[in-house]
Amino acid sequence: MSLLELQEQILQAILADEAPPVPELLSDARADATSRLTVYRNGYRVRLHDALISEFPGLSKMMGRRFDGMLESYVGTHPSTHYNIRWHGAGLAAFLGYGLPWRELPELADMASLDWAISIAFDAADEPVLAAADLADLPADAWANLRLRPQNNLQILSLHYNVDVFRRAADHHDKRPRLRCYPKVRHFLIWRDALAVRYRPIVADELSVLHAAIQGKSFATLCESLVEFHPPAEALPRMVSLLHEWLADGILRGWTAH
Amino acid sequence: MTNETNTHQLPYLGYGLGLRVEHYETLLEEPGNVEWLEVVSENYMVPGGRPLMWLEKFRERFPLVMHGVSMSIGSTDPLDDGYLARLAELARRVEPKWISDHLCWTGVQGVNLHDLMPLPYTEEALTHVVDRVRRVQDVLGRRILLENVSSYIRFADAQLTEWQFLTAVAERADCLILLDINNIYVSAHNHGFSPLDYLDGIPASRVQQFHLAGHESSERLLIDTHDAPIIDDVWQLYLEAIRRYGRVSTMIERDDHMPPLAELLVELDYARTLATPLLQAAA
Repeated sequence: MSLLELQEQILQAILADEAPPVPELLSDARADATSRLTVYRNGYRVRLHDALISEFPGLSKMMGRRFDGMLESYVGTHPSTHYNIRWHGAGLAAFLGYGLPWRELPELADMASLDWAISIAFDAADEPVLAAADLADLPADAWANLRLRPQNNLQILSLHYNVDVFRRAADHHDKRPRLRCYPKVRHFLIWRDALAVRYRPIVADELSVLHAAIQGKSFATLCESLVEFHPPAEALPRMVSLLHEWLADGILRGWTAH
Repeated sequence: MTNETNTHQLPYLGYGLGLRVEHYETLLEEPGNVEWLEVVSENYMVPGGRPLMWLEKFRERFPLVMHGVSMSIGSTDPLDDGYLARLAELARRVEPKWISDHLCWTGVQGVNLHDLMPLPYTEEALTHVVDRVRRVQDVLGRRILLENVSSYIRFADAQLTEWQFLTAVAERADCLILLDINNIYVSAHNHGFSPLDYLDGIPASRVQQFHLAGHESSERLLIDTHDAPIIDDVWQLYLEAIRRYGRVSTMIERDDHMPPLAELLVELDYARTLATPLLQAAA
């Protein structure tokens, strides 16, 4: 048997629930080949389980005792492919959103999405943070064409359930909160402010302006987009208010003047 | 003690620890007797954030070496160029004294088992691994260290012992060896060979680093958990290793059930206490 065939057989014996024995593996008086291989079978599942628990604390809080069974099902049906074990979590929200029986509990996919967004923000690339002082000396006539540049690590999620409350409860070791479905979908911003991962809800006008900023629209265009939500006289003050909030939150990385 | 001495150019670092999140703050405030640190490469092969911030702090204070778990040098899948590029990038940032990984495969067909799977000790596997080590060393621009793994399975068509295989890889690919003393003990128990035969079979000129660790006993097999204190038999084997290889950079590798740093420092001091008289006698 070639090295390739041998490795493929062992792989299948570890992944599959009922795989044929691998004849090349030796048994001896201490232990037979099957029980020796079981060390690797169990190790694979335990390692993935442990890695995913630490990436999905909100989901663990929400599911309670069902969490382990769900993970077992995910790990059993979705082999890991990334060299970094925690990246096996990248597919969990989709698994919960599309697979039975979990898709009948849509709050689970919501929760997994938020947990994962927080996880990938944690070690996203470091970026500069724009401070208010960086804009202080900008000439008045430069503002109309100014392009604000949001952090590249910024993520926007649309959530139907109060999964943010579950995540907070998990982070603070509080008791399990009560599940609530929001009357209307809520949008959340997830980003990294220096080294701290942060998240907060954003309302419709901020979402619209932020999308425009991400697309590289000018400051004047951002202000104009707010007219959809506010009387014209209130658009600029609202934009100024949002800008202050973004600067305080560390959401912006810089600006360009063209 | 053997007269054969290490002929490679890498420095002797003394006694160190595997860097773990649980000890970040204590280690910076009260490093005790820790002379160097081994970092798990994959934990820092990330774009940014806290992991790299901490890494920089330790880089300023300690000599560092990089230890990987995912190179999969023995896999029949192609070498992962993306992985190697990130590893090389991290090495440029860390400037480690050396880079190590394991003599094993971690997956095939694109699947990662996140485990250190043993190879069949055959000529085919040897040729395959030697070629890949050479290619990795070309990418990294330096010799790497390969570590012996604990294992629970053996293959019917093995033509070499594990130590013959490890030595042949090191000699043919011109790489170095990280000997995990605990892993030798665990595999010797599980497969019924003599750990002293293992030590006798490894050329001192290739041995650059020792790992010391604990393990777990199951009903029949020893399981390499790295989650317990080092047992007396492994300390004795460590002494035997020093008798054969002389002064080798030594570290304690604890991966789970993490005790307070002070407990590991006591173990590290014990390693130093055991080794010093032997090394002085040989000097």
